[in-house]
Amino acid sequence: MSIQTRKVPIRSGNPRSRSGLRPGFLLIALLVLPALILAVLFKLVPLLRAFWLSFMKTQGFYEPSFAGLSNYQAMLRDPTFEQSFYNAFMVFLSLPVWVFMPLIIALLLFQRTPGWRFFRATYFLPYMIAPVVVGIMFRQILAPDGPINALLKLIGLAPLAIEWLNGPNSALFSLTAVALWSFFGLGVLTYLSGLSTVPQDVVEAARLDGAGFWRMLVDFALPLIRPVVGYWTVLCMSGMLIWMFPLVYALTRGGPGSATMLPEYLVFITTFEFLNRGKGAAIGMALFVFVSLISTFVVRQMYREGRGKRQ
Amino acid sequence: MNGILSRRPTRLSALGAATALAISFVPMAQAQDVTTIKVLNWQPGGPEYWAALVEAFEAEHPDIKVELETVPFDRYPEVQGPYIATRSGPDVMEQNAGLELFDRRVAYQELPEDVLAAGGDLLTRSGGCLNYDLDEPCYGLPFGLQGNVMYYNKLVLSEAGLDPDNPPATWEEFGEACEKINAVGKTCLALGMTGVFPTYWVFPEIARSYLTEDDMRAVLAGDMPWTDPKMVSILEAMADIPTKGWSNSSAPSISMLPDGADIFASGNAGFAGTIIADAVNWAAFGEALGDENLGAMRWPAVEPGAPLAKSFSGTESSVFGVTSWTSKTEAAQEFVKFVASTENGNLLTELGGGIPLNANVDPSLFPKSSALEQIREIIKTPTIHVGVLLSGQEADALGRGWQEVALGRLTVDDWVERMQVALEESPGKN
Repeated sequence: MSIQTRKVPIRSGNPRSRSGLRPGFLLIALLVLPALILAVLFKLVPLLRAFWLSFMKTQGFYEPSFAGLSNYQAMLRDPTFEQSFYNAFMVFLSLPVWVFMPLIIALLLFQRTPGWRFFRATYFLPYMIAPVVVGIMFRQILAPDGPINALLKLIGLAPLAIEWLNGPNSALFSLTAVALWSFFGLGVLTYLSGLSTVPQDVVEAARLDGAGFWRMLVDFALPLIRPVVGYWTVLCMSGMLIWMFPLVYALTRGGPGSATMLPEYLVFITTFEFLNRGKGAAIGMALFVFVSLISTFVVRQMYREGRGKRQ
Repeated sequence: MNGILSRRPTRLSALGAATALAISFVPMAQAQDVTTIKVLNWQPGGPEYWAALVEAFEAEHPDIKVELETVPFDRYPEVQGPYIATRSGPDVMEQNAGLELFDRRVAYQELPEDVLAAGGDLLTRSGGCLNYDLDEPCYGLPFGLQGNVMYYNKLVLSEAGLDPDNPPATWEEFGEACEKINAVGKTCLALGMTGVFPTYWVFPEIARSYLTEDDMRAVLAGDMPWTDPKMVSILEAMADIPTKGWSNSSAPSISMLPDGADIFASGNAGFAGTIIADAVNWAAFGEALGDENLGAMRWPAVEPGAPLAKSFSGTESSVFGVTSWTSKTEAAQEFVKFVASTENGNLLTELGGGIPLNANVDPSLFPKSSALEQIREIIKTPTIHVGVLLSGQEADALGRGWQEVALGRLTVDDWVERMQVALEESPGKN
């Protein structure tokens, strides 16, 4: 009798209890609460604090005073600010390489190319080295008399043995290449995880149909793991814009001049070297808006494609 | 049987637990009497000297334990900045004397008279006080003298047909020497332009040819615009170095420490402008090149007739102060007092290759080195070190601008303009 009584509301199609809450709501709320508290404390509060600080005048480390939009005006007047976003955009242009190179390698490994076990470990290894160590390491490797140039000279490519970190374009290119070297192993592993969910009979069928490598890549791998590609694209984008700091710090310090200055590094030196926390916060907010806009665009594209596929 | 077996372990356990409890109370009791202070530093004088300093201090103060947080010099502001911003971290901090200390004085306690009295034997301690004025609040005590000289490799000079006993004394002579050194396939001046080194190690040496001490005080106060002809002349002379081919072509993308210094220490350069104490000094270069092959001189004068052309850009190497947030003020003050003591001066002289400020240091402790003897002559005519009077913005713009000038992407006029903007945006100078 009591069991029947409890089942009545469910049969009636009314999922709410007398208090108006869905059954299990409290449990769900309780489980979500820790994550919510952490997100508010460590994401939202610092963000709001930075937003507030961006309207304050800061004199060294003294208590700030209200300054209206003057930090934003100073930021827009600063040619280094413009240069840093230009550099970020140039790095951003390399996104297709970041997205497709690991995919190509992952597919080669997935097809059990000879030595795939060795290469799988080798490709992932750079990701396990701390970015600061990578930066210091490549400072030596890319030095004018370093091993890269020695190798180029040895194989008769002396004209290519340039001062990698001295030119504005070559320095930014070198920084991006080093970041890619350090980061792409994770991409390979991410794609391999995605490919491992593809049923073997589908793979066999494609092979029996005589699909070559590029056919497999374009007509097989890309459509089947599209969500993984989307996920990796968002990760790469944010990586390019906000995770390059340790490499810039150890490799170029944003130089020569401002050739490799990226917004996140500019936030850092403005805040801690120039002791201008207000302007640093303003640049940080500009970076936040920039990353948010791009991420929103890409994530919405992903959802739209996902919905289209389901329909 | 069971009862006996079960009782024995119980007794043994009880005995063991009691013993463990007794043992654990011993270090606890000791730990309660010992105050541990954390000292943020860049280890001037090297690890051997610092190990001896800590050992001597702890021997004198058995109730205080020192924990060092050592950060490379060129990374120091970036590690220290977050500590100051969050008002947390070390109990004692090292700071360059001058504007760097003044800008960060909110992070330091004003030292009381009894602590400052410990600096009574120092030749100078004004660099730890606001505006280099002993009547103003003082935030730190120094221990060693620091400043710039130019080292030269006698072998390279000889190879280039130059007289190693008469190194170039003027800008003109230096240019001629560079042509000869370049002709034998060596770099004339080993140089790195990234980081703060252009500001601290090069700028003051050129500035001595144009500025008076009053001008330098105006730089500190923010009253000397970069558009002033004297300041423009300094930048023009700095631009000469890379554009005339006197330095290594990699200079714009490398740091003077360690990269630039390495070029000189490897014997591939004739000259290197570094410092008299700490990492890249006469001792380190003497070890690398042989003491007999190393010489030290003033930077060649651009304007030999200038009033400060034959002076030494010297300053208290750094000062140690007590942080404003520490709860261990007394222990931290004891450390600061020890830093200024004769005992520490002797250690610095003997082990750190430094030149102490304490007047009572035993002169026989100075190591035998001809370069050091030259340095001890040079430092007899000191002047203000104008490098430490530039703000963070000015230091950054100076280094980055110089890099771009070296690469031919910036004119000196544009560099001047950037420096002026940096001055106008310096919080401590407006």
